Formats: sequence, C-alpha cells, structure tokens
Amino acid sequence: MSAVIEARALKKQYKGKFALNDCSFSIGKGRIVGLIGPNGAGKTTAIKAILGLTAVEGELRVLGLDPFKQREKLMEEVCFIADVAILPRWATAKDLIDYVEGTHAKFSRERCLDYLSDTDIKLSSRVGQLSKGMVVQLHLAMIMAIGAKLLVLDEPTLGLDILYRKRFYEQLLGDYYDGERTILITTHQVEEVEPLLNDVIFINRGKVALSETLDALAERYCNLTVDASRLEQAREFKPISEKRLLGKNQLLFDRADRDALKQLGDVAPPSLSELFVALLG
Amino acid sequence: MSALQQHWNEDQPIYRQLRDRLMEMILDRVIEEGDAMPSIRQISVELKINPITVTRAVQELEECGALEKRRGLGNFVKPGARDELLQQERKKFLKEDWPALRTKIERLQIPLETLLTPKPIR
Repeated sequence: MSAVIEARALKKQYKGKFALNDCSFSIGKGRIVGLIGPNGAGKTTAIKAILGLTAVEGELRVLGLDPFKQREKLMEEVCFIADVAILPRWATAKDLIDYVEGTHAKFSRERCLDYLSDTDIKLSSRVGQLSKGMVVQLHLAMIMAIGAKLLVLDEPTLGLDILYRKRFYEQLLGDYYDGERTILITTHQVEEVEPLLNDVIFINRGKVALSETLDALAERYCNLTVDASRLEQAREFKPISEKRLLGKNQLLFDRADRDALKQLGDVAPPSLSELFVALLG
Repeated sequence: MSALQQHWNEDQPIYRQLRDRLMEMILDRVIEEGDAMPSIRQISVELKINPITVTRAVQELEECGALEKRRGLGNFVKPGARDELLQQERKKFLKEDWPALRTKIERLQIPLETLLTPKPIR
C-alpha cells in the first residue's frame, strides 16, 4: 500500500499553544479515512497543512510532494470541500464552471454538466440563491469532474438535511470513489460515516491517539454487557471504560480474551462513537 | 444510530449483517437461482457503505457455495444454492438459536398449541 499522505512529527504553534504536537500518521492509496477528534484537537490545522495552506514543522509528504512548497503542483491532484461555503455568492454556476475549466487542466466540463443534470441547479443559478445543500452539490459536481487523486472533506455535510446528506454520500461512493482515489474526511457525525470508512485516525490535543483500520479496531476492541453479579469477574480483565445500562453494565476492552469474556455475558464490537468517548472523553 | 444508517444494529459487524441479508434474499427467492447478484458498487452506493465491506459479505456467501463468479459478468446465485443454504441455516438455527428460545418458552410456560397457532394473515 503506497502512502498518499505521510506525516511525521508535525508541529504547529499558534501563540505558544500547540495545535499539532508531534503528530504522525500515514494514509494509504485508495482508502476512505476518517479524521476524528474533539473540537480544537488539531483536525483543521492538519488539513490546512495537507493542503499546503499553512507551514508546519516536521516531515509532510502528500502524493510525494511538499504541500507548502509545491502547492501549485499538488493542487492538480487534490480537491477540498470545507464546511464553510467558499463559493462566491455573486457567481453563477456557469461562471464557476468557466473559471474552473480555464484554471484546471483536468476539469471535464461535460462530466460536470452531467452531474448537475441530476440536480435542480441551473447554469444561470447564482450561488447566493441556492440552498446550502445545493451549494454543496454544485461544489461536489465540480470536484468530481476533476477526478483528483485525493479528496479532502472537512465537515462536508454540516447543516445539510438528511436527504442531501444521503445524496452526497451516494455520489461520493457511486461517482467519485473507484478504489484508487483517496478520501480524507473529518466530521462530528461519526455514526454516519463509520460504514463508509476503511481507516480511522483519532486526533486529540495535537497528537494521534489512535490510527487503525476498522477491521483492526473490531479485532482489538470489544464491548461486554454483563449483569451486576458478574461485574467483578469482568473487571478482572481490565476494561478501559465502563458504563451503566439499565441495570446492566457495559465494559469496553482492548485486546482482551474474547472467549473468556463470552462466558460472562454478551460480547459485541463497539461503535466508533463509543470508542471515541472511551478513548478521548 | 443516525437516520442515514438505520439498517444496522450494533451486535455484529456490518459485513455479517449484510451477508445475512443477502442470504435471506436468496432464501426468500427475491434473488432466484441463476440470477445475477447486485454489483458491489450498486450495494455500496445504495446502502452507503464501503465497497470492501460489501466485498467481504459477498465473499462469505461464495465460501458457503451459494454464488459462482462468471468472468466479466459478476456473481450469480448457483443452481441448488437455496437448498444448500437452507440446510446450513437450519443446522445453525438448531445449534445456536433454538436452545435459548427453548429455554425461554419453557420459562414462560407457553403451551405447544399456542406456538403452533397459524400465523394471522396480514
């Protein structure tokens, strides 16, 4: 698996406060990766560094390039959608398509129009008149028509209703993702993206707290639900967290003997959000 | 679970649940023997799950001997697959599910006749 992003010991300070503090991770080609962390964990700084929008200490390679120094070259292969709408309100869809066609060698006008034909967006529509969901659709259509090798999504579905979120992920999987392209996605809607992901990176206080494939997580961690009578016995296996559930107790284990736990109660894989709370809460 | 991913429970990995669902589709003849299975991409987009997860579920069905690959055309339900799956699933039910159900029936002292009452037609 060749790495699309290789980050080693990244550091970034804002006014003496570390946004990234010895942050290392690697993202393989063709993976769909969730970058997950609480507010202020350093996600946005990490993304800015990957896109070459901010200089960082440490070693960072994106598609083999130094993002800060070779940004122009990198941008031929990388696309980005942020939670804050960055498309200018005064522009029409046609203005934007003309602009991207003129500036981006890999843009296919035909494909973009094809994607837009499935939406209610007209070429004459101004961004300012479109709903938030439609602005994201327009943005996604333009990006899919570029077919970049790496797509970075920062809270892409924030503020979108359920129907637009569904459409968004359908398009992402159906029209953009082909098993070769790589998607890096940050979101607080962990449950929603979990089934989409291959890998997850938990980031907290500027450091990587966990970086695993979802398969490996399912093997490493397990939840055990036990009656109070068996609680003490279960605790001997050293759970990393515990919670009460209507008279029962749920314990989360890291690399525990599953067969032994099964003797005590129900064993099931934890969800990403449960792990998030247990590890970063 | 969020409304977007309403299909899954948290007791089992998604690929297992998907495998079971595909299996039920074959048992219920929603997909007939000799029919093509929906493609990995189709399932992935429809359910909004990673294609690798789908591939795994389909692989497990292949391993049960329910599917056959036809080059360039994808997966098809094998002739005889339904009978084969029925046998396997019956065995599994009797071994894994029935003992617990039986204990529960006995605990609740439900008479046999009640259990055998025909299902009301909806």
